[in-house]
Amino acid sequence: MTSISSRRLRKELNEIQAEGCPTGITLLSADNFESWFFSIEILGESLYQGEVFKLMFRFDSNYPISAPAVQFVVDQDSTAPVHPHVYSNGHICASILGNEWSPVLSVSAVCVTLQSMLASCKSKERPVDNDRYVRYAPDNPKKTRFHYDDD
Amino acid sequence: MKVHIKHWSAVAQWRWNTGNTAHDQDDEGDVCGICRVPYEGCCPSCKMPGDDCPLIWGECSHVFHMHCLLKWLGTAASKQQCPMDRRAWVTAERKANDPSSTTVS
Repeated sequence: MTSISSRRLRKELNEIQAEGCPTGITLLSADNFESWFFSIEILGESLYQGEVFKLMFRFDSNYPISAPAVQFVVDQDSTAPVHPHVYSNGHICASILGNEWSPVLSVSAVCVTLQSMLASCKSKERPVDNDRYVRYAPDNPKKTRFHYDDD
Repeated sequence: MKVHIKHWSAVAQWRWNTGNTAHDQDDEGDVCGICRVPYEGCCPSCKMPGDDCPLIWGECSHVFHMHCLLKWLGTAASKQQCPMDRRAWVTAERKANDPSSTTVS
């Protein structure tokens, strides 16, 4: 498969393997060019001290023209951070994953943005519409049209 | 001493003139921000670099492989904005016959 996405992802992967991920981010697996997994933690002072989360990236063959689908993994070993923009099923309401995606962004850039989203959190709360959203949420968060109401 | 030249090979290197002259000797040059392939390479849909896979300049001064940028602008998500600065994309004038638009070193 030599789609746009595989070429670009190969470059990103080479860079991650050569230079490492940003601090606090670790590549868990990137066995193909469809889904990658990272662990993410917030170093320094934050409400998430000592917590480690798992991020899943899913790419379609048009990446980076189309945004990756990014969410926290929720299974028996990991949960989604409690944050006003993170639903309990792991879906994230972040404008750069939706209407502010740009093809010059990268997997590392998304990780760093999500890290700072968590780092700047003032109170650990779920989104107000969490229960309603989670009940009807599609499997792929890209199918959700989020409302980006602040930052 | 007399030297007879039996064979010689000419080697030339080309670069798009992007206005960025600050290239290190071992620097691969700048890359297209969308596909991350050097400007002098070609976009992922092309096989041959050069005139068939040209660059495109925006009035905002950002440069991309033309095919990469057009793919982006062809999506509704782009809102016709430059991927770098999200300003409305306006293609800058470049004269194709301008001898200064390509340099050979």
